[in-house]
Amino acid sequence: MLCRYIFLLICAVFIKLTCGERLHEQIYSSIEGGAACFRRLNGSHQAGCSSANNGAVGVVHFVRELSDANWLVKNATAGSYMAIVNTALFREVIDTFLKQPENIAGVLLYHNSSLGIPAFSQDSRCPNEYFSGPGSTCSSLEPSSSVWNEGGTNLMRRDIPFPIFFIPESRLEEINKIEQCFQSFNLDMDNQNGRPLCSVQMHSFMFAAVDSTVCMRRSASSALITSAKVCDPLGDRNVYYSLFPQSKETKKRVVMVTARIDSASLFDGISPGAASSAVGMVTLITAASILAQMIPVETNTYDKNVLWTLFNGETFDYIGSQKVAYDMRYGEWPPLAPLKYSDVEMYLELGQIGGSLLLHKEDEDWPFKMFAPVTANNLVVVSETVEEMSRHLATFNMSLQLTSTQNLPPSSLHSFRRILQDIQEEKNGKNLSSVDIDLNGAMSQMVMVDHNDHFTNVYYNSALDDYNNIGFNYHNLSIGNDGTFITTNDLIANGTMKRFEAQVKIALLATAVARTLYRRIVGESYTGNLTASAHLVDEMLYCFMKSQACRLLLAADYAKSGGGEENLPEKPAPLYVGVTAWPGTASVFAGHLLALLTGTHLAVNRTQCEAMDKIEYSYYWLKGWNHSGVCIQTTMNFSQAISPAFTISDYDFASGEFSTWTESVWREMWVRVFVAAGGGGARAAGVTGAVATACVAALTYWLRSRARHIFIEAPAASLVSTDAAAGIMRTVNC
Amino acid sequence: MTVAEFFSCSLLAFGPPLVMFAMTVANDPVRIIIMIAAAFGWLLSFLLSSLVWFAVVPLRSYLAFGMVFAVIFQEAFRYGMYRLLRKTEAGLKEISENHEIGSNKLEMAYVSGLGFGLMSGAFALVNVLADSIGPGTLGLHGGSEYFFVTSAAMTLCMILLNTFWSVIFFNGCDEKNYLKIGWVIKSHLFVSALSLLNTKGLYAATIIPSYIVLVINAVVAFQCAGGTFKSFVQSFSVRS
Repeated sequence: MLCRYIFLLICAVFIKLTCGERLHEQIYSSIEGGAACFRRLNGSHQAGCSSANNGAVGVVHFVRELSDANWLVKNATAGSYMAIVNTALFREVIDTFLKQPENIAGVLLYHNSSLGIPAFSQDSRCPNEYFSGPGSTCSSLEPSSSVWNEGGTNLMRRDIPFPIFFIPESRLEEINKIEQCFQSFNLDMDNQNGRPLCSVQMHSFMFAAVDSTVCMRRSASSALITSAKVCDPLGDRNVYYSLFPQSKETKKRVVMVTARIDSASLFDGISPGAASSAVGMVTLITAASILAQMIPVETNTYDKNVLWTLFNGETFDYIGSQKVAYDMRYGEWPPLAPLKYSDVEMYLELGQIGGSLLLHKEDEDWPFKMFAPVTANNLVVVSETVEEMSRHLATFNMSLQLTSTQNLPPSSLHSFRRILQDIQEEKNGKNLSSVDIDLNGAMSQMVMVDHNDHFTNVYYNSALDDYNNIGFNYHNLSIGNDGTFITTNDLIANGTMKRFEAQVKIALLATAVARTLYRRIVGESYTGNLTASAHLVDEMLYCFMKSQACRLLLAADYAKSGGGEENLPEKPAPLYVGVTAWPGTASVFAGHLLALLTGTHLAVNRTQCEAMDKIEYSYYWLKGWNHSGVCIQTTMNFSQAISPAFTISDYDFASGEFSTWTESVWREMWVRVFVAAGGGGARAAGVTGAVATACVAALTYWLRSRARHIFIEAPAASLVSTDAAAGIMRTVNC
Repeated sequence: MTVAEFFSCSLLAFGPPLVMFAMTVANDPVRIIIMIAAAFGWLLSFLLSSLVWFAVVPLRSYLAFGMVFAVIFQEAFRYGMYRLLRKTEAGLKEISENHEIGSNKLEMAYVSGLGFGLMSGAFALVNVLADSIGPGTLGLHGGSEYFFVTSAAMTLCMILLNTFWSVIFFNGCDEKNYLKIGWVIKSHLFVSALSLLNTKGLYAATIIPSYIVLVINAVVAFQCAGGTFKSFVQSFSVRS
């Protein structure tokens, strides 16, 4: 403390600073709330951004039109530039920059929704193109090809030679700060060289480079060297839950219903994924909860089961589903009662749904497409399902159309189709001509989406795919102490919600899905009047899109032994899959929600709950609706979502068989704005310094050499005799 | 550009004193000892003034208060140095192999003044120099890019002033001439007070008067050391 004050005093008196602040704070201003583009690597490439080790520095330039971008790459004179771009222009501008990156030190991207953003997606035009199953025709390289994600820039899979930071709309004041600085220093664009200019420094240095093979090798410690980790494999956990308990003895054929958990964006910590994945996941959880009420677990007399599965890491070449498909091939998934492909009667994926919600925010319609590779073998199952589903949807004024094609939209199903093709090829002695992949009627495949040949979601896997993208408005209704939700009919009847709202539509969709499955399991149409609650959907969407501190997640959280409330952050859980080393929160939330909403609530205390040991169930002690703790008996479980590439020993990362994505390690990411010197000060100091030094040297030399003549009236030297002890002293070497 | 700024500012602030050191001090171990001792003395004075500043809480926010105390303590330690040197003069001369030492009584004053000045200059500027490496310079919240140059120039001024002040002060003490001692303290206070104007960004208002004071002090010190205008002019015609 003392040192600090002394230091401050010194600053104050002798450096003469205003108000005694550190000089550093006067020079730099930190830009807070930015999210950096970071580096991911796969088997053959590095993708994403990295700054130099000591950061990237460039002169600020606001790009408001395309001509500004052209000026930057062609006519700019003051060296490297930091382009400040808004999301509306980003797509066009980034192409220009990537073609001629010499002048570009970095890009600061800010979101301003008032500008109207046409399309914004950093994923590929054909997401996960190289891991698609047989029959896929989407090709991102052929310009004429019909692609799923028309607005895709593929930036997430390209190596970007400069850092990019994203400033969300809530942090627009940071951009205003830069703009003020820009206005006062950089406006004279023709004479920028050699002047003080407003500049920005970005630091986002990535430790990993080249590709996953290299970075995993560098991260591996050997007996001789302990190395620092430079990259981690992407991965998290899959969630699965079966309607009835499955064990090896009581195994039934299953209907697999799947959705994906994860989304992504180019930027760290921002992956809202509303229409990309969250709506599908919420629909699945809601449908699972309503089906569990339609078919209580006690009535376990049917010969079929439903296996609800949420895959994680699907954005990055289907990590989760590849792992499951791979494990199923070797009879290892689910661990308790392994399934064979022939055990899976039907595979229904709730793919990317939600993109059309905004288009139909003024009417009751919500048109769906069922993509299915129809063959003679699965014709019956597929047509029955589609018929049943469209009948239920029609009662809600929504529609479903079957599209029979081998060209399926990006979905987890591709992983299964690839593995099934492998199996078939092995069977046929590598006969490639056969694309009939149905193993005797196993796995009738269907993917349900709300788009046609192109995504209706123009923000696919991007930072802008947030709750606004599905027109979600939270209603904030309280939940009953016993976990009862207000029914959709009541909500509409009393005017709390409107029929057009996303919550209501999703609840109705979930109801239709559950009723369709009911028919498949029970064998007859559902006649009851149970419908999924839009209130539940409202809460769940809020949890995944706006705040983790929500009623559902608080109830579904682990109860602490002390009983204290843990504060969840008031921002949505990132849906990005993350790295295997750090367990993600989204999968845990999804799993616990499934357990809470579908599991049996046992009236036992914590100790008894922990002692329960029925092999086909798991037991969770969660907070429960009234936060006093509740014991849940559930078939919900987690399984690893890590690409087989990282579990198979000696896997060839270049083979392209499994996802090989890794994420680089970094130390810190920051942006700061300041004024860079034009060199005038340095020149002035250099010249005056040289002149002063030369003058002083000359003067000193003169005074010293002519001292006798100049200091003629010098005061007398001291009276001490020089000879007194001279002799003695000179013999001593001290 | 900013690395250039670092080196050119260092040159401006420390070039002249370094040349003086190399030509007049470095060749004699005793002078080096005196210089280091003086530098240490300056550090002690600063420690004391900061203690006072720290102890008197209500006045912490007033720069002028701390400044006055810093000046008073520095001058007190200058007097301390004078007493010390006069006491140890004989001994120092004994161990010196250089017989020229002490040929002018104010030589010690000059050396100790240079030590005083160098240490105060180092303290004043090192922190600024560290920030001058960049990549930024002043300007975002006001201030100009010439801040570093003016800081370096002010530092040079203070180093040279301290040197001359010591010469005048020692001479004043020898002759019991309180006018000279008073002049040193007053001009020190004046220059320090001028630097308060930097808060308002009036760099020219600080530097120009400071350098005028520097020139006056140089002339006074020159005369104290026994030089006259005439002798200086004559030295150009006399062969050494």
